[in-house]
Amino acid sequence: MPYDVTIDRLPIFSLFDLKGPTDDLANWAADLPDFPQVANTRTQGNGVDLCFIGPNRWLLCADIKSEDTLITALRPAEAPPEISIVRVSDTLAFFRITGPDAAQVMSIGCPLDLHQNAFGTDAVSYTEFFGLKALVMRCDGGFDCAVEQSFGNMIADYLSRAMA
Amino acid sequence: MMNIPCPFCGPRNEAEFAFGGPVKPDRPDPNMVSEEEWAAYLTQVPNPLGPVQERWWHVKGCGTWLTIWRDTRTHDIVVRPADAS
Amino acid sequence: MPHNRTETGGRIDRGQMVNFTFNGHKLQGFAGDTLASALLANGIRLTARSFKYHRPRGIVGAGIEEPSTLVELMGDDASGNRPATTVPLREGMIAKTVNCWPSPGFDLGAITQLISRFIPAGFYYKTFKWPGWHLYEPSIRKAAGLAAAPTAPPKQGHFENRFGHCDLLIAGAGPAGLMAALTAGRAGLRVMIADEGTEAGGSLLNRRLTIGDGPALDWVQGVVDELDNLPNVIHLQNATVWAYREHNYLMVNERAPDNPSLLERNWRMRAGHVICATGAIERALVFGNNDKPGVMLASAAQAYVNRYGVRLGQRAIVFTNNNSAYAVAADLAAAGITVAAIVDSRMDVPEEARSMVADIDILAGHVVTTARGRRQVRGAAIAPVDGGASQQIACDLLAHSGGWNPAVHLWSQSRGALRYDDALTSFLPDRPAQNATSIGAADGQMTLADALDRGARAAADVAGVVRPDIPKSTDLPYAVTPLWRVKQATGKAFLDIQNDVTVDDVHLALREGYDNVEHVKRYTTGGMGIDQGKTGNINIIGTVAMQQGVPLDEVGTTTFRSPYSPVSFGAIGGLREDSVVLPYRHTPVTDWNLKNGAFMYESGARWRRPGYFPQAGESFQETINRECRIVRNGVGVYDGSPLGTFEFKGRDVGRFLDHIYTNIMSTLKPRQGRYGLMLSDDGLIIDDGVALRLSEYRWIVSTSTGHADAMNSHFEELLQTQFPDWNVFVTPVTSQWNNATICGPDARDVMQALGTDIDISSDALPFMGFADGQVADIPARVVRVSFTGELSFEVNVAPRDLPALWGKIMIAGAPLGIAPIGSEANHVLRVEKGFLSLGHEVDGTIDPYDLGLGWAMSRKKPDYLGKHAVAIRRAGTSNRRELVGLLPEPDQMVPEGAPLTPGGDRKPTEGLVTACVYSTVNERWVGLALLENGQSRHDETVHVRLKDKIVVARVTPPIHYDPAGERLRS
Repeated sequence: MPYDVTIDRLPIFSLFDLKGPTDDLANWAADLPDFPQVANTRTQGNGVDLCFIGPNRWLLCADIKSEDTLITALRPAEAPPEISIVRVSDTLAFFRITGPDAAQVMSIGCPLDLHQNAFGTDAVSYTEFFGLKALVMRCDGGFDCAVEQSFGNMIADYLSRAMA
Repeated sequence: MMNIPCPFCGPRNEAEFAFGGPVKPDRPDPNMVSEEEWAAYLTQVPNPLGPVQERWWHVKGCGTWLTIWRDTRTHDIVVRPADAS
Repeated sequence: MPHNRTETGGRIDRGQMVNFTFNGHKLQGFAGDTLASALLANGIRLTARSFKYHRPRGIVGAGIEEPSTLVELMGDDASGNRPATTVPLREGMIAKTVNCWPSPGFDLGAITQLISRFIPAGFYYKTFKWPGWHLYEPSIRKAAGLAAAPTAPPKQGHFENRFGHCDLLIAGAGPAGLMAALTAGRAGLRVMIADEGTEAGGSLLNRRLTIGDGPALDWVQGVVDELDNLPNVIHLQNATVWAYREHNYLMVNERAPDNPSLLERNWRMRAGHVICATGAIERALVFGNNDKPGVMLASAAQAYVNRYGVRLGQRAIVFTNNNSAYAVAADLAAAGITVAAIVDSRMDVPEEARSMVADIDILAGHVVTTARGRRQVRGAAIAPVDGGASQQIACDLLAHSGGWNPAVHLWSQSRGALRYDDALTSFLPDRPAQNATSIGAADGQMTLADALDRGARAAADVAGVVRPDIPKSTDLPYAVTPLWRVKQATGKAFLDIQNDVTVDDVHLALREGYDNVEHVKRYTTGGMGIDQGKTGNINIIGTVAMQQGVPLDEVGTTTFRSPYSPVSFGAIGGLREDSVVLPYRHTPVTDWNLKNGAFMYESGARWRRPGYFPQAGESFQETINRECRIVRNGVGVYDGSPLGTFEFKGRDVGRFLDHIYTNIMSTLKPRQGRYGLMLSDDGLIIDDGVALRLSEYRWIVSTSTGHADAMNSHFEELLQTQFPDWNVFVTPVTSQWNNATICGPDARDVMQALGTDIDISSDALPFMGFADGQVADIPARVVRVSFTGELSFEVNVAPRDLPALWGKIMIAGAPLGIAPIGSEANHVLRVEKGFLSLGHEVDGTIDPYDLGLGWAMSRKKPDYLGKHAVAIRRAGTSNRRELVGLLPEPDQMVPEGAPLTPGGDRKPTEGLVTACVYSTVNERWVGLALLENGQSRHDETVHVRLKDKIVVARVTPPIHYDPAGERLRS
């Protein structure tokens, strides 16, 4: 039978690209959850997810409604040179793929091993999705997958072909 | 499709990486070397039959520029040879 | 039909009739049949014509090894060159034979048989060669044609490609593979077991053996049931592991996925360990006319009687050099076929083989020298192997077995070593090159008990568990004596039936000096084609070895390459077709563009952008001219979102930018911007763009659209590999900052009409300045750059706000006649201004001085990327191609790329036209060109050499409009 999944294109999130040593970042930006220690995992707290997506590099994700609050808290323009904080909320187009066959649909585009043992609940990673750089993480009942915003239409095109 | 070990992400499909070429010697100060030495630095790229140190950029992953030793005969990723310069 | 079927038995469903059409004849088979078994059950023997000689051919094998009967499926199943033995019969299937016209029974191409002695190996190479090949090729292609490619995509369904991961991938679900899967599955490994057959069981499906206390197939069913209930096991049938690549990456082509939307699925598997349980393939014996319909592999005959319940004939001869054919003879007899004789080339037939066929005559030490019969086999000539008088025996089935070749294809693709085994007379897996094990017949365990044992051991080793007990089984021990060819064969003795390669062809190749086995393959084409010589390759190696008097391992094998068996292009491509063949990108105003009649196309870096906005009744050129006039005389707006944009942060950004730009950036004050060039270290111009200093430590660097990704790579490589200690962070923000660029003398009026808290006077916001604020109540950064040569405001906003901003611009600009501008008009405007475009005016030979941009090459900085290389190159050359303007006279268009030659003569070029556009401000065509020493040749006349004419052109400075730059600074 065809794949039993639901695919939603999500509205944008508040996203901030954080770079620099954790201590400097934590000192500058209070109220953030603890920085995740393990590569390609995330922590949650105060309504934000903190994703450890590269060496000295984190992506902070939250609801778009809290963007102004976060800008006030993070003060990207005033941050010291040791760290970099850049608002990137608009740069990613998010897709939510949920349902019993979500992992199967993901495997059409994503080369990462998304088995629960290899890619657990707190896992998050940049990888490929239909040949594009993509951020992948688990959500309730499936996966969230984000690609560079300008490729959003193309990914929607691909996903509808996969579900045909 | 090689499986390239990224120091941050672990082994990932080659398709997540961009090839950065064989590792060349460190860039000399162009004002301290002869034109011949400078031209050699620019144009001479290691191309052995066997292990070669290469750069790869994990462009679709964590963004790390990494190096591996790859055996050009087999694609095996190998340890740095004892006689490597 | 009952005439050709056994009364009972087999894996067919006699209650389910299937109708099909073959070469125009309406026929019936049963569910469970292959096309081949159904044809045989219908008594159809002549099913094909051969590739080169158009000899009559029948069905030779029962699986993927089939060299002979290739069919083209028509209608909804449309696909070509399918071995009939691998096509599951389906209701309504329409098939036809390839290689013959109008039918295999009456084939006009068979005329080539009459001249066959004139077309030996290498005939095509010797005859149809340069320079006339293009004259011969079309008719040869037609004569040699296999099936036609389908002309339309499949009516319904699509292909899919997916990634997969497992601890253990097992190729083959025969007894060894099943035993391994069961062992590993029970141990909890993530297992995939994939098998090319429609049913699990491998050779057990074709044979009558017992495992435990019952039929072997009962054991198979029990294992399959258990595997299918293990959540950690994926079990695929009708799925071929067709490629084994580096780093345990394998391809699995699943031809009947459990999703009705899918035609086929291709898995790209990364496996921790691989077990090759690919079985063995029977090789043919090489005797005269061994290609006649009715001559088939013994294992195939066994499959047809046992698995498909086909009574293949009345009277059979079995010809062998090994034990396995004795079981076949017994099975044929049990199916009611008279076995006239077993012809065994061995002098001594082992007792355990004899005892299987107590009632059948055995002619030990004999060989079949030739098969008799015209369109199908009617008998065989049989002679003692050492020579002597021959006898004739009538038959309508000649089943032959030349021994078994372990299917080492996958193993060998993995670069695993092979060794020649004298006892098995074949090549066997030796040392692995990757995490792989070979088991069962593929590894030379030729009895059931050994295969089961090896399967259990191998999987237990991988899983790190104790080898489980294996069920008992009985099997005939395997023994073989090589017979690479029958020496006294009369008539053509085929080594490769598919490519019509005979023993004589191989001998000819060797005589002509092609003595390496790879050369023999290419010269004779033996081992090529759809079957890749699965039944004949080892015989070719044996024939070469005999002729050269060396052992087989000295001859070696040809290289085994993927695919193991044919794979649909569709399965390889997966979903990637039509609109998603190449990636594409959109900006947020795409919907607006489309609604307003934009003609969109890709214009670099996968962006689909409006090329132009035609209005009713306008020609292409009229549209471009209108858009240009709007910008030059009023105001236009274009979507500049794709421009590469990066935020830089850190103490060392200025130092870094000084290294990568040719000019000095570190001296910029906050709130200032500067245009710059970037070179590679070997002196190539790799990009140009603008750097803006937001504050002491924050910068924005823009790059050209097409090079944004390459520049990102460039920045990161330098920072991570050469300057890891420098305090510089780079964040790509191309998709965080979209922009609408308002350009033209009325641009400031539109900005005022939009409403902004930024002082946009030229004093407060001069050219190359920028400011943050609100534009039309939207947070924006306004930048004074210009790619058109006119007053421009690049209004950068978040993409979420761009559609709103765009709409407001259209409203605010309406009284001034604002219109959207496409990339075609942008190109004209930049050519008028002589602004460089990477890919047009810049190639690997051009440096900034050539473009008149020497001012951008800092003399103060002792070092920056490319400085030294440019200096060395310029010191060595006096004759540079330099950028100039070009005015064709009389006024006309000259094509981009056209060469300039001295006097327009047929002489080495002195330059080329890089662009030529119709300039509305000059009311004529204007061009740019790279011309030798062009900077000192202004006002000279040069010649554009075209195919049909020579165009004279006047050389000018490379700027056709507003040379002082007053307008863009206004």
